[in-house]
Amino acid sequence: MGTYKSLLDPRTKLLLVFVEATFVLATMGGESMELFRIIFTVVPFMLLISSKRYKTCIIGLMVLFITWALEYIAYPHMSGMLSYLMLAVITVVTRFLPAYLMGSYVIQTTTVSEFKAAMDKMHVTDKLTIPMCVMFRFFPTVREEKDSINAAMRMRGIAFGGGKVSKMLEYRIVPIISCSAKIGEELSASALTRGLGKTNRRTNICKIGFGIWDYIVFIFVAVTVIYWIYGVFR
Amino acid sequence: MIRFENVSFAYEANPEKLSLDDVSFEIGDGQCVLVTGESGCGKSTIIRLINGLIPEFYPGERKGKIYIDNDEITEKEIYDFVGKIGTVFQNPRAQFFNVDTTGELAFGLENLAVSEDEILKKIDKTVEIFHIEKLMDKSIFNLSGGEKQKIACASVDVLDPSIILLDEPSANLDYDAMNKLRDVICEWKNQGKTIIIAEHRISYICDIVDRVIYMENGKNISDWSKDEFSCFDEAECERYGLRSLKRTSPIKLAQDKNAYETDDNVKDIQEDKVYKTDKADNDRYIILKDFKFAYSGKNYVLDISKMHIKREKVTAIIGENGIGKTTFMECLCGIKKNKGILISDGKEYNYKKRLKEIFMVMQDPNHQLFTESVLDEVLISMPDEDVKKARQILKEVDLVEYEKRHPMSLSGGQKQRVAIACAIASKRPIILMDEPTSGLDKKHMLEVADILNKLKTAGRTIITVTHDSEFIENCCDDIKLLK
Repeated sequence: MGTYKSLLDPRTKLLLVFVEATFVLATMGGESMELFRIIFTVVPFMLLISSKRYKTCIIGLMVLFITWALEYIAYPHMSGMLSYLMLAVITVVTRFLPAYLMGSYVIQTTTVSEFKAAMDKMHVTDKLTIPMCVMFRFFPTVREEKDSINAAMRMRGIAFGGGKVSKMLEYRIVPIISCSAKIGEELSASALTRGLGKTNRRTNICKIGFGIWDYIVFIFVAVTVIYWIYGVFR
Repeated sequence: MIRFENVSFAYEANPEKLSLDDVSFEIGDGQCVLVTGESGCGKSTIIRLINGLIPEFYPGERKGKIYIDNDEITEKEIYDFVGKIGTVFQNPRAQFFNVDTTGELAFGLENLAVSEDEILKKIDKTVEIFHIEKLMDKSIFNLSGGEKQKIACASVDVLDPSIILLDEPSANLDYDAMNKLRDVICEWKNQGKTIIIAEHRISYICDIVDRVIYMENGKNISDWSKDEFSCFDEAECERYGLRSLKRTSPIKLAQDKNAYETDDNVKDIQEDKVYKTDKADNDRYIILKDFKFAYSGKNYVLDISKMHIKREKVTAIIGENGIGKTTFMECLCGIKKNKGILISDGKEYNYKKRLKEIFMVMQDPNHQLFTESVLDEVLISMPDEDVKKARQILKEVDLVEYEKRHPMSLSGGQKQRVAIACAIASKRPIILMDEPTSGLDKKHMLEVADILNKLKTAGRTIITVTHDSEFIENCCDDIKLLK
């Protein structure tokens, strides 16, 4: 977590996640949308650069290039089982990676109050928003807990279940759940004593609004959707 | 005004045990009251009854009556007290709803649907009083424990409550941060707020409270006025099992006593004189070389070129919150990749090799207990599993009767002792401990000190990060100050 003023409005970010999921991950529109798909594959990387998350960006790019290299260099020379396996890996990575990066960008650059403000502006009910806010708040916490637990396992020399491979997962999951539950409990207690859920109407000091970049994204998404509809009815 | 009339309470999870047993008292407006006593004496239960977390959040059976300003609270909900009662909790990590500081300060006011302009005005006022201009618009993940607790206090202050409750607020704080917390409490006292503090570490506030309520097994045994309590000496505290009244900075301890050799950071001129690389010294010291760590580029959070650790002794590592003590521990034990070298018996250990030679008892033992029973936990730590020896170790740390319990079902202090038992069982020569006494009462703190004293006679070298002067005096042989 670092800088907070990000390029896009939280609503635009949510729209982008949705677009990534439909056009890149679910490959809506098939072959004819290939050009747009390439552009939408690049978008998350540019956003990551704009928010100075170079490490994630470089790792993502490397994974993407390696997969492309496999697809165009190694794959044509393979056959049988191996080629099916490779095709599966290539498809999963090229489809999931952009959506995954987009998701991680949104989570890392949106604060809880920004998210809440965005949901309020879209008139989403609190019954949905508050649990989602709590989830937002929780991701980094669970990650912190997970890191500490992994470190402890390595230190105690039982990263692989201490000779019991079947226990590897259990040893990891149980502490994560109990630690997160405890933090969740304390978090709720603290939020309750400060009136979370007291009134139906809640104010928010967080100012959000659309800027030039948001409009650029809207126009581009609109072009994509129109092109897609045009393709469907042609 | 807060009045308890013959209040008893048992948590739903444990209906047999009365957490509060026929407690009555009255606290007038503007009083500053310290509630103290051993862990599990009912301090936190009192806090939770007043702020309404009992019964809404922690269900259980209550008898007796509680009044706040002549209103009986049974008829009220937790929400009726928002803005009137504010609570600061123990764990600074787990009381923030937002991930940015400004949003956190606004949170309570937003919930009360105060207008945006008004919120900003109130935040500005609190920021000025608390001098936290520098902490605004930051991610809470980048704050030290002391800074987080300050934000927690500020986020209560913006609501301007007339009653403020603090539940072991100093548990994770260093000496300086405790002093700052004291300043905050003084400020609230001057504003005429009613303040109730449940706390073990009483030294930092014992001279500013108007009254001390002492609890034992859910009963309020004694109720001392300021004058009575100010006559207390160390012997009297000992009798009640209270923590020391002395406010001693660990840094002062390091400077005062000649018994502690401090080579705070390398460039000690005396270094060569004291630690002339004698062959005999090889037996006396473990040498740490080139411990450097940076999260990015050359911004070293940790920069130690040489440090001598006495073998078979307890060495305390001290320094302010956020100076890199925990990072040092993680580098030392090898969890974090780094270039530091540990030299012991003429052999050099890099971080990978150290991972097998050093056991670290973490600050939050929840992170390092994995199995289904205490006995399993010890067994899995042994190079060769041996039930008889494992029981022997459990006896040493006073946990024999708990061997079949799930580690997660134990109390905080017990969990920590399980982790120590694992350290003993691992047979590793060096044991690291990260703030082993945070949140412990006198009795439990002394138990830990006692175990460490036994361990060093058994030939283990112990390095512990701590803020606790009383603990240092009870078991540490050497102090190193990180700057």
